[in-house]
Amino acid sequence: MTVWHPDDDGHADLSSHDTFASGAPHNTFARLRREDPVHWTEWAGGKGFWSITRHADILDMNRQFQVFSSAQGIRMEDQTPEEVLARRTFQETDPPEHMRTRIKVAKAFSKPVIAGFEEQVRAISADILDRVLEMGSFDATREIARQLPMRMLGRIIGVPDADLPWLVEKGDALIANTDPEFTDHVLDRMDTDEFRLMPFNSPAGAELWEYAQQMMADKARRGDTDGVLHMVLAPDADGNVISETEFRNFFCLLVAAGNDTTRYSIAAGIQALAHQPELLGQMQAGGTIWDTAPDEIIRWATPTNYFRRTATRDVELHGRTIRKGDKVLYWWVSANRDEEVFDDPFRVDLTRDPNPHLGFGKGGPHLCLGMHLARLEVRVLFQELARRVKSVEPDGDHTFLRSNFIGGIKSLPVRVELQ
Amino acid sequence: MKVTWKLADGSEIHADVAPGTTLKDAGLDNGVPHILGECGGSMSCGTCHVVVAPDWVAAAGAPGEFEDAILDTTEAPRQPASRLSCQLEMRDALDGIVLFVPEP
Repeated sequence: MTVWHPDDDGHADLSSHDTFASGAPHNTFARLRREDPVHWTEWAGGKGFWSITRHADILDMNRQFQVFSSAQGIRMEDQTPEEVLARRTFQETDPPEHMRTRIKVAKAFSKPVIAGFEEQVRAISADILDRVLEMGSFDATREIARQLPMRMLGRIIGVPDADLPWLVEKGDALIANTDPEFTDHVLDRMDTDEFRLMPFNSPAGAELWEYAQQMMADKARRGDTDGVLHMVLAPDADGNVISETEFRNFFCLLVAAGNDTTRYSIAAGIQALAHQPELLGQMQAGGTIWDTAPDEIIRWATPTNYFRRTATRDVELHGRTIRKGDKVLYWWVSANRDEEVFDDPFRVDLTRDPNPHLGFGKGGPHLCLGMHLARLEVRVLFQELARRVKSVEPDGDHTFLRSNFIGGIKSLPVRVELQ
Repeated sequence: MKVTWKLADGSEIHADVAPGTTLKDAGLDNGVPHILGECGGSMSCGTCHVVVAPDWVAAAGAPGEFEDAILDTTEAPRQPASRLSCQLEMRDALDGIVLFVPEP
């Protein structure tokens, strides 16, 4: 078994961001899947929570959105009802309310519409790679993985390329709000109470909101009503419009969530190429590998470690009683290494098919809205990379984000040889 | 109760389906191609798209508001009799229903 975590003795503290700073604690997840699939974690920072680690359990529970609700928050932190309302997006709602927002943007992210971006994704990928690969050795997260989703975000929300580095820096400060490299306001290390009504408890939420307001005002002046942000602002069939707060939060969600998850998927894929040399040759052989490779890379990455739900009634499961009001964490990162579902789960198999990974939240209403875009970006980036390089090798140790929520390789030194 | 899926290549899949089962679950159970049901039947994904045969359109009924919106996102273009099969539950009135599975 490949183990990324040097200190994981099978009893790692899942509530601690430090645990994940050297990679997900896969020994602990493996033990929990075997011995304690409904595991109680005490947490110094708030109420404890249940950890669900088996693929089959998560798939089954994810379908039961009435029993395991998203409406009281999707991260382990406790939120007052006031904070939930102030910070929520449609991620923090249940059907049918969830659908009211989702249907406004579903078409913009549908497979046929996203397929229309392929040539743009390819041109941006080529531009990124042609510039960076000739450096020979570089940080692949910073120079490649971070670049493509950032530049596609600009196309999706319609902002100038020059604004993108600032936007992504703020997005990182939101979603990586537990890593001091990405924010001055580390969530669990200082008092962020002043920002408790802002998205992700972060002052970056306020800055992003100022930007969004300015941008929408500029677009209004130009009479420009294209793009996904206008879709979300349009009234629904009953004439309802979303509130300013909801719009602000949706904007922050697009900037943050649409960005780092694809980044860390690409990074994990490059890490896999560097550690399993046969993968590059398989990619270069091409063909049907491209039907299956993107999902395997996303399984390998599992950039969102967990989402939390809250029980709406008492539930018995594997001899434990989950009480109404208890927080329940679905550990996608564990489900995606479940030996009961995946042969040799710690190995990247680009031909894996079927690949019922839960990286997109399969089986539930919150299935990733951006999954077709993520698959497209991953496929095209690796197609373009495989065309250009003869080898990809590690050039030092990679490091991980300090977060139990988002799992990502934040620096990835590699050395490449061009074809 | 009987269900028939007609595939784009002309072949057919026949199954006995218990009342109360969604036709998405029945499609998955019987290995019907292109029925993926990625969102578990909550109308979030559009990957259980079927086209109801003309004789069965009235019995199947029309899609609701959310289903109607998601039918605009399917990989194979929507047709007048398109439905999400997660929203069709097996019942007496649908015994014998025929569904076309559009090729993406």
